[in-house]
Amino acid sequence: MTQWITACALDSIEQEGVKRFDHGGKTYAVYRSASDEVFCSDGLCTHESVHLADGLVMDYEIECPKHSGAFDIRSGEAMRLPACKNLKMHEAKVEAGMVLLSIA
Amino acid sequence: MDDLQFGTRDKRGNWSPKDPAEVAPIWEMPPKIGKILRWLPQYVFPYDILWVLSALAWWNWVLPDVDVMKTLAWGWILKLFIVNTIAVFAFFGIFEWRLYIKRAQATRFKYNARWPSEHPSDAFWFKSQNTDSILRIIFHALPIWTAIEVGMLYAFANGWVPWVSFAEHPLYLIALMLVMPIIHETHFFLIHRLIHTPFLYKHVHSVHHNSINPSPFSSLSMHPVELLLYLGMALWHLVIPSNPILALYQLHRAAFGAIPGHIGFDKIETGENKGMATHACIHYLHHKYFEVNYGDGLVPFDKWFGTFHDGSKDGEARMNARFQKRKAKANSDQSAGV
Repeated sequence: MTQWITACALDSIEQEGVKRFDHGGKTYAVYRSASDEVFCSDGLCTHESVHLADGLVMDYEIECPKHSGAFDIRSGEAMRLPACKNLKMHEAKVEAGMVLLSIA
Repeated sequence: MDDLQFGTRDKRGNWSPKDPAEVAPIWEMPPKIGKILRWLPQYVFPYDILWVLSALAWWNWVLPDVDVMKTLAWGWILKLFIVNTIAVFAFFGIFEWRLYIKRAQATRFKYNARWPSEHPSDAFWFKSQNTDSILRIIFHALPIWTAIEVGMLYAFANGWVPWVSFAEHPLYLIALMLVMPIIHETHFFLIHRLIHTPFLYKHVHSVHHNSINPSPFSSLSMHPVELLLYLGMALWHLVIPSNPILALYQLHRAAFGAIPGHIGFDKIETGENKGMATHACIHYLHHKYFEVNYGDGLVPFDKWFGTFHDGSKDGEARMNARFQKRKAKANSDQSAGV
C-alpha cells in the first residue's frame, strides 16, 4: 500500500513554481503547475547534482539553475543538454490543501 | 533599436537572431566572390585591427629594449603585468559597464534575458559570476598570460628562436599575419575539443562553463590548465619563423580577443538605428548547449565534424537528434545500473 508523506501546503509553492523537500536523508523537488497539478522528482539535477528547486519552472519544464539543462516535470524526461539522464519521479497529490508525496 | 526586427524573443525572454549564424564564406565551393568580399572587412574589423594596434603599442611603449629582455628581471616583468592588468580590466570593463551595469540597451539583442548579477549561484566563488570571473582573471589569467608573454620575448631576445624582420621579409610576415586568425581558430578548436573529453571537462573546463549566461569577465574565467592551453597558442611563434610583434598580436588576440564570444549580446547599439555585430552567437550557443560549436566558425571544423549549431530550427533539430541518441544511451545505462 502506498505510504503518503505530507510535504508542504500547496499554497507554499507558487504556480509554475518548485520547492525543495528533504526527507529520510534524500532531497526532492516538488512542482506546482499553472493549473495546480503537483509533481515530485528527485531533487538534484542528473547532470551535476544541483538542487533543481533553485531553478525556473515554465510550462511543464524545470530548468536547472547551473547549466540550464531542462526536464519535463510530468515525466522527468531530460529535455535539453547538458542533462541526458531522466529524473526519477515520485507520485504526488493534493489533499485538503496539502501536497502529499509517495517517497517511501 | 527594435531588436524584434532582427530576431525573436521566447517566453523566457531570451532573444535569438532571425538569420542563422554562418561560417566564413571562404570555404564555400564553388567560391562566391561577392559574399567573400562582403565578409572580408570583418576579418580585420573591428577586432583584429585592435589586437594588431595593441601589439604595436606594447612593443613600442610597454616593453623595454631587446637587450633588457635578455634577462628575466622583475622591473620589466612587473610593468608588463600591471599594464596587462589595467588594459584587460579597462577593455572588458567598458563592455561590462555599458551593457551590464548601466544596461544602456536593456535586454535588446541579449541572448539570455537574465542578468547574472541577479542570480547568485553556488557554482561561483562568493556566489557571484562576476566576482568569480574577476578573481580568476587576477589570480590565474593575468599571471599565466604575462608568463607566456615574458617567456616568448625572452626566447626572441636571446636568439633562441628565429626572428624574422619586417625589413627583410615583409611579404612573408604580412602573409603570416593574415593566416594568424586561422592559426587561432585551429588551435582553439583542437584544445577546446580536448578539454571537452570527460576527465578534462570535469576537472578543468567546467570552470569556464559555469557561466552559461556569459558576460564580459567570463571571457578569461578559466582553470589554469585551460589558460595555459588557450593562451599558449602564442607559442606557435616560437616554432613558426616569426617576429615578436606578431607573437604579441597572437597572444592579444587570444587574451583580449576572448571577449567577442562572451559579450552576451548579438549587437551593441551604437545609435538610434545603428548597431555593431558582435559575432558572439556561435560561441554563446556553445555556452548554452555545451556540445556544439567547439570552434568559432572561421574554419568550418564543426560542420566537418557534425557539431555545428547555427541557432536555427534546423540546427536545433540536428543537435536534438544527437541529444536523443545520448539520452537513450544514458538512460539505458541508468536502467542497467551502469
